[in-house]
Amino acid sequence: MLSQTMKTTRHKVVGLDEAVRLVPVGPATVSLGGNSLHRVPHAFVRRLAQLHSGPLHVAKTAAAYDVDLLCLAGVVSAVSAGFVGYETEFGLARHYRTAVESGAVEAREHACYTLITAFRASAYGLPSLPVNALQGSDLIDARGFLPFEDPYSGERFPLIPAIRPDVAVIHVQYADSDGNGVIIGPKNEDTLIARAAKSVVLTTERVVAREELPVGTDHIDIPSVLVDAVVQLSNGAWPGSCYGEYEVDPAGVQALQRLETAAQLQAYLREVS
Amino acid sequence: MNAANERADQMTVVIARLLASSTNVFHGLASPLPAVAIALARRLHNPTLEYLNITGGVNVPAIRPGVSTCGPSYWTGSQSFFSLTDIFDLSARGELDTAFLSGVQIDARGNLNNSVIGEFARPKVRLPGGAGSAAIVPRARQTIVWRARHDARVFVEKCDFVTAAGNVAWVVTPLGLFERRDGFLHLAGVAPYSSEEEIRANTGFRIPDTGGDASALPPPTEQELSILREVDPDDTRAGEFG
Repeated sequence: MLSQTMKTTRHKVVGLDEAVRLVPVGPATVSLGGNSLHRVPHAFVRRLAQLHSGPLHVAKTAAAYDVDLLCLAGVVSAVSAGFVGYETEFGLARHYRTAVESGAVEAREHACYTLITAFRASAYGLPSLPVNALQGSDLIDARGFLPFEDPYSGERFPLIPAIRPDVAVIHVQYADSDGNGVIIGPKNEDTLIARAAKSVVLTTERVVAREELPVGTDHIDIPSVLVDAVVQLSNGAWPGSCYGEYEVDPAGVQALQRLETAAQLQAYLREVS
Repeated sequence: MNAANERADQMTVVIARLLASSTNVFHGLASPLPAVAIALARRLHNPTLEYLNITGGVNVPAIRPGVSTCGPSYWTGSQSFFSLTDIFDLSARGELDTAFLSGVQIDARGNLNNSVIGEFARPKVRLPGGAGSAAIVPRARQTIVWRARHDARVFVEKCDFVTAAGNVAWVVTPLGLFERRDGFLHLAGVAPYSSEEEIRANTGFRIPDTGGDASALPPPTEQELSILREVDPDDTRAGEFG
């Protein structure tokens, strides 16, 4: 496998298309870093929408532009998320909503914590983990989470199946060519998804020499041992924000929201890529 | 002052006053009004309140409310990093004191629906999802629910789907304040510009008799308004009334 070969090789810097091709052809599970509109690998997502024909299962705690775009592209079959939407000002994720209501996409709703539990199970090498949450929620039955009875205390908790992404894609401000990634500002769940996934792609505002990373080696967020590919992509989180680099571009978000068809999306992708 | 600002200010001061004895507090995405209320409470009612938010920011001194409540200004100046995962773990252990959540539907028992209208598997309307609510509402000591819209489509007898249920303690709206007691929402306060009649007319479930207990909520004081202008100069708190 390509990813296995690459992990043992230093100098992991590749082009965007080569990194996108690490997502297996056909059914694949992808997790995306960042949160909502912040430090999300949007440039990777746009290229994925052009190069992959699906069906993708996307898993992340709080999604917005990323999942909305992939749903409009028609390459998604399922979304595991706690929240898919744009927050107060930008409203609902209309393309996601349409895709779910038409039956094209399965909404595997999680509480953000149960999704974190699913990633933890994968990171721990376990098929599932119990979670102290969801008491009184219809999500237990709707999602078919089975009960776990602790043999020591007799307490019962919902048991969350592991989610093991084929690829986690994480946008960082700094990485070296070996794949040591540094996140400035909120890290969200990115250190966890990097450990839960089979392979990891870093897209990075800049590639620097190891001695030029802005933190010591004891503060590397995503160490090279986990990373398969590094792609230098300044503005890689646009039209979302990237902490310390740029803010959300509202017009850029609204341009996606205004599109109606997959054909319009392809034209949009040619224009903004 | 327009009606949206007046109502946003009223809700914000009611929420801030509810935080007077909380030890720690958390808000997530899409929560500008609670974020401003927390800032007000930390200035006026409860300076030692530990403030946690979805970015992992801790006691962030001066949020700049905007498009998103998980954006960069909710992190800058953080005293440390306490991730969302850490916050959920804190909640699971029973050590999260107060959380803010909302509901597209809120029912007579204080249950929240943020998932679907209609069937879960093939919904009439797919809603964004409950985010952290199904984990936090049953495990935090108390949840304060807020919603800038108070009508019979939001306040229903029974939610189409219960995304989250549990320790909802208060529900704050532009018209008034509900307290959850014995498993049901009771009217506990009425905004100065509203009335018990108006609240009943805009609520889709039968509100238990108040026996005269629903007090008039005091309007914002000059001091509260002055601090609000400092902590939220752009009136982001009124944005939820769009």
